[in-house]
This record gives sequence, C-alpha cells and structure tokens, in this order.
Amino acid sequence: MRGGKLIPVAALVLAAGAARADGDAARGEKRFVECAACHSLQRGVNDIGPTLYGIFGRKAGEVGDYRYSPALKRSGIVWTEGTLDTFIADSQATVPANRMPYAGMPNAADRADLIAYLQKAAQ
Amino acid sequence: MATKLKEVDVVVVGLGWTGGILGKELAEAGLKVVALERGAMRTPAKDYAVPFIRDELRYVVRHDLMQNTARDTLTIRNNPSQEALPMRRLGSFLPGEVVGGSGVHWSGHTWRWTDMEFKVRSMYEERYGKNFIPADMTIQDWGITYAELEPYYDKFEYTAAVSGKAGNIKGQIQPGGNPFEAPRAREYALPPLRTILSSELFAEAARNKGYHPFPRPTANASQAYTNPDGSVFGACQYCGHCQRFGCEANAKGSAQITVIPIAMRNPNFELRTNSWVTKVLKDSDGKRVTGVTYTNVLNGEEFEQPAGMVLLCAYAINNVHLMLLSGIGAPYDPVAQTGVIGKNYCYQTGASATLFLEGRHFNPFMSAGGSNVTVDDFNINWDFDRGPHGFVGGYNVGSGFNSPLPIGYRPVPRGTPQWGKAWKAATAKWYQTAMNINASGAVMANRYNYYDLDPTYRNAFGQPLMRMTFDYKTNEHKMGEHAAKVINEIARSMNPTHLTEAAARTQPWTVVPYQSTHNTGGTIMGTNPRDSALNKYLQSWDCHNLFVVGANVFPHNASYNPTGPVGALAYWTADAIKNRYVKSPGPLVPA
Repeated sequence: MRGGKLIPVAALVLAAGAARADGDAARGEKRFVECAACHSLQRGVNDIGPTLYGIFGRKAGEVGDYRYSPALKRSGIVWTEGTLDTFIADSQATVPANRMPYAGMPNAADRADLIAYLQKAAQ
Repeated sequence: MATKLKEVDVVVVGLGWTGGILGKELAEAGLKVVALERGAMRTPAKDYAVPFIRDELRYVVRHDLMQNTARDTLTIRNNPSQEALPMRRLGSFLPGEVVGGSGVHWSGHTWRWTDMEFKVRSMYEERYGKNFIPADMTIQDWGITYAELEPYYDKFEYTAAVSGKAGNIKGQIQPGGNPFEAPRAREYALPPLRTILSSELFAEAARNKGYHPFPRPTANASQAYTNPDGSVFGACQYCGHCQRFGCEANAKGSAQITVIPIAMRNPNFELRTNSWVTKVLKDSDGKRVTGVTYTNVLNGEEFEQPAGMVLLCAYAINNVHLMLLSGIGAPYDPVAQTGVIGKNYCYQTGASATLFLEGRHFNPFMSAGGSNVTVDDFNINWDFDRGPHGFVGGYNVGSGFNSPLPIGYRPVPRGTPQWGKAWKAATAKWYQTAMNINASGAVMANRYNYYDLDPTYRNAFGQPLMRMTFDYKTNEHKMGEHAAKVINEIARSMNPTHLTEAAARTQPWTVVPYQSTHNTGGTIMGTNPRDSALNKYLQSWDCHNLFVVGANVFPHNASYNPTGPVGALAYWTADAIKNRYVKSPGPLVPA
C-alpha cells in the first residue's frame, strides 16, 4: 500500500464522475495490448486475470471461477466507465492490496479510449 | 513390455524454448509432431499468478520448477582420480522440469555470442600463436559464423520481447548501447528496462574508469508488447521475483506464453506431459534413429514412440545423458582423447564484490530479472589484449539486483555474527544499503572436464546416472584474478562504507552453492565427425534424422548467458529441417 492513499468509496464515486466520455474505440484497441497479456474478452476464459467479458455493470470480484484477492472482493466496486477509469489509472491506490500486477495508465485520454474499446469488445 | 504407438514424423524430447520453437515451426510446416515432456503442465493462469508465485520456500528452497533429484540426478567429481558422488539436492545449477523448461524460471538475459566464440581457436592462434593455447585446452571453432546466425538472433529476440539498447546497427555505433557488440540489423524489440539506483551508481563509476556501461539486454518486456507471432506480453512490474519464478505479469519471454501455446493450437502438434524418455532407438545399421522409448512417470507405463525424426530438446545435461544412454556416437575418453559424446563440458566462473554504502536506499525488492548495467570491455572487446594476462576468453562485469529474495537476501559486512540479535540488527541495517558488482567469466574447454556414465549409481529407471567431471583450470584462475582486480578498483572508487572484496575462484569447484545454470558442451557442434558430435545444423554425424538442440552443442562456454544462441540455433535448425532436410533427408553437411 502506498503511503495511505486509500480512497474511501465515497471519493471513488466522486472520482468516477470525472471519466471522459469522448473515447475512441479504435485507439483503445491499441491501448488494450497493455491488458491482453492477462485478460481475455471471451466469456468464461480466465487467464492470469479474469475475463473482461460482460464487465460493465458487474460487481468487482464476481467471475465465479476466478481467484480474486480479498481486497478486490471487499471493495464493493461496481464496474462502470467511471470506476474502471479510476481503477485503471492507479489500481493499487484505488484498491490497496489487490493483485493486479499493473503500473497504471496515467493518461486520461488513453483510459477513455480503452474504456470505449471495452464497451464495444467486452459485451 | 512397451506399448508401441503409431509412427509420427517428429518426436521432440523436452518442451522448453528449443522444443517449443522446433515443435511450432515443424508443425506449421505440416509435419506431425509429438512432444514428450517429463515435467507437468504449468500455466501462468493456474501456477504463476500472484500471490502464490511469490513463495520463496516453494520455488527457491524446494525447487518446485526444477528437476526432481529423487528420479534422476548427476554424480559429481573434480577430476578423474576422485570417486563421483550423487548430487542429492540441487545446488550449483537448476535444470527446469515443467512445460516451458528452464525458460520459465530464467531471468531473461539474452546475448549475442560473436565470432570471438565461434572462431575461438583460429582467432587466438592467429593473434597470439599456437603456443598461447595450453595443450589440455580443447577449444575448437564451432563451424558457424555470427553473420549466419544474425537473422536468427533477431528472430529469437523479437519472439522473446528482448528489451535493450543496440550498440551497433549495421556497423554504426549507437550511443548508449554496447559498443563492442557485433553488428545487428536493427534495434532491440523493446527499449531497455528502467535502471535502478545500484546499476546507475555502477554505471557512473565504470564510466569514470573509462569503461563502456550499457543496459543488459533482457527478455523482460519493458512495455506491453505483441510479438511477430501475435503472442502478447504485459509490462515488467519489477516485482523482484524473476530468477527461479514464473512471471506473474506475462512479461518474461518464455516458451509457455509464446511458441508452445501456438504449437498446441496446431492440430499437427501433440504434447504428452509426465513422459520421461529413457532411450533413443537406432535402426539396425545404426545410421538412423527410429523413435524413442518413454515412461509415463505417473503410473510407470512404458511406450515406444516410432518417429521419422528425433529432436533432443531437453536441458543441456539431459540431452547428453540420452545420447550416452542410447549409445549414439562414441563416448569421449579423456585419456586416449577419442570419442565425442561427453566431450568439452564447460561451466562458468566469476567474481563478486558486495558494497555497503551507508545512507543509500537501494530498494532491492523493486527489480527486474535484468535490471543490470554491464561492461564488456574485458569480454567481447578484441582490443583488450589478453597476451600479458595469459588467458583465453573474457568476462563481463555488471551490477544491479536480480531477485534479491525477501528471506534469502541478507547482505552483511564481514565480521558480522552469523546468527542471533547482532545478526538480525545487521541484516536490518544493511539490507537497504548493499549492492553487488559481479563478473561472469568464460570457461574454456579442457581435456579433463567431461561427462560419462557413472559406473555405480543409477536413476529411478535403473539407468546409470550422468557423471560430471569438472574443475576450474589455470585459465579460469587467471581470468578470475583479473576480474576481481577490475571489480575491486571500481568498487573502491565508489567509496563504500564497507567492501567485501571480489576474489578469484581458485578453490576446487563445488556443486553445493548455487552458481549458474549455464552448463554447456557434451554433444558439441563442429566441422567434422572426428572432433564433434553434430554438424553446424545440430544434426548428428552418426544418425542423420537426429538433431540435438541446446547449450550442449557449444564447444566451450563464454561469459554470456547461453539462451541467446540457444534460441537462435533452434530457429536456425528449424529452417534447415524445413527447407532442406525434409525435401532431401540425409546429412546436411558431408562427413
């Protein structure tokens, strides 16, 4: 955990409001290479990470046969554009002690593109 | 009684980097391939994900990804006058034993060996005269050139996501890279890994001494990457658990995330795990092999797998062992200096200093497998005159952390008590402040360093264990002394609070502490069947449908890690088989 950066759920909800809605799915497909080594978009196909199929509207830690960290299970997050945006930006700050080995995507436009792509490809 | 199975085109023995590359390439060329791996199936999703992969007890102490010595091990001695005894617990080297092989737990250091190795005898004789090479130093030219191998190095580096900085592109020296490297066609697949404080301090000190530091090329993806085959890599997370662990981020170039899954999707390819090959079978005239016998280690059931072609792709030691057990080629005899199988076993040497710099915080737990900076001024730099120092070969010097383990990495200055309160206080005090400078040195082949079958000890299948006879010779002692001097000069210039100085390894080699898994030789490649086991395409001189792939083909060992040329030679051999051998089976080089 990085120096007490734990964000309370209320703050997460507020931060979620800042997600940009102008993402470009075609550019986002290129950003997805940062995720693809561990995450599939196909139903039921878990790799190092859980499948992202059907992620929007799902509660964090809920793909039945994937072994989540207790931290993510407890997080209470429901994946929306906003919560994903916050999580992808800095997942350890958002959910300390989650197990995703990923340094984060700092650029908001990149995240918007990625989320636009996921909205198309993960349904 | 072994069950005889239906014949296939190719049987691949061992499924790591070389078996994966050849299996994929030959299945894509339309051949029916069966791969026999004695270890179990392991996948990143099930086996290498956090948190369970970060288990130092399981992977480092109990060697979970390594060869099971209860089934098979080696006997070890320093010279032919000694009685060899079995290594019951893995020590000096760690052969892998799962799908993916040692490429699961390697650190990813990927080098291009140059003509200074491939033409070692001719280059040294030309420059220093025949007498410079001692009579018992059985080095020889490899029969291959850097120029022939360059495209295959490139292919392997791009497959394995090697991150680095080119030092020489088509003859143009590149700032920031290794100025001594042989010319490459293009940049590395990815930019170098981030430097860490210890490697930066070393780089500065080395530069001040007039040396040429550069980031070590490593198959740890410095950023997310899709390789030319479409295999996807995550970015290295600098998690500090690289060597001896599978990668939790799919960032380490490994066969089980690249060539193996591609081969497994091909209907021409079949993998059988837990399948221990006991023998390669020969035709009655001894000119061809006809397949292999293997045992299912889970239930002891025996099979014969007939095949048109056999590729030995196991760990280097085990390839040689299978050749000896199968009676292919004449076993090497160090007294008569006849025979070739078992000849020119080589290891590596080195020297290491530990610097304690009070006030520094190195954060060793944040590092990649290749967070190293290296200098090659005493390695592949032919301008470095070995004449006054009297040794053949070279060494590279580097610094940075590679898997400084949470429990096992406890650097303390000399004189610290080895247990108790004072030791605990010292480990807490110095953990953050210590760094190493290491040399990895070449070992030249010697007449009395070799493999043969042990006369006494047998493995779980009733077969003789492999016997390894090895010790460091004068050449290694001289090189080690030179390396220690260079390391200590750099180290002292950094004004450490305490310095544990580097020293040459002049004591007899011991198998007990871990040193390096870079075992080479035993079925060496060469220009003729009198002094080598394989031709330049790694094809047996004795049986033309048998290829033996791995570091066992190296006629001597360099200072560099072996996987670069191992991977390149696997692609090189795949091309020779696909483009030439399949069309016209027979010797690819006239004997």
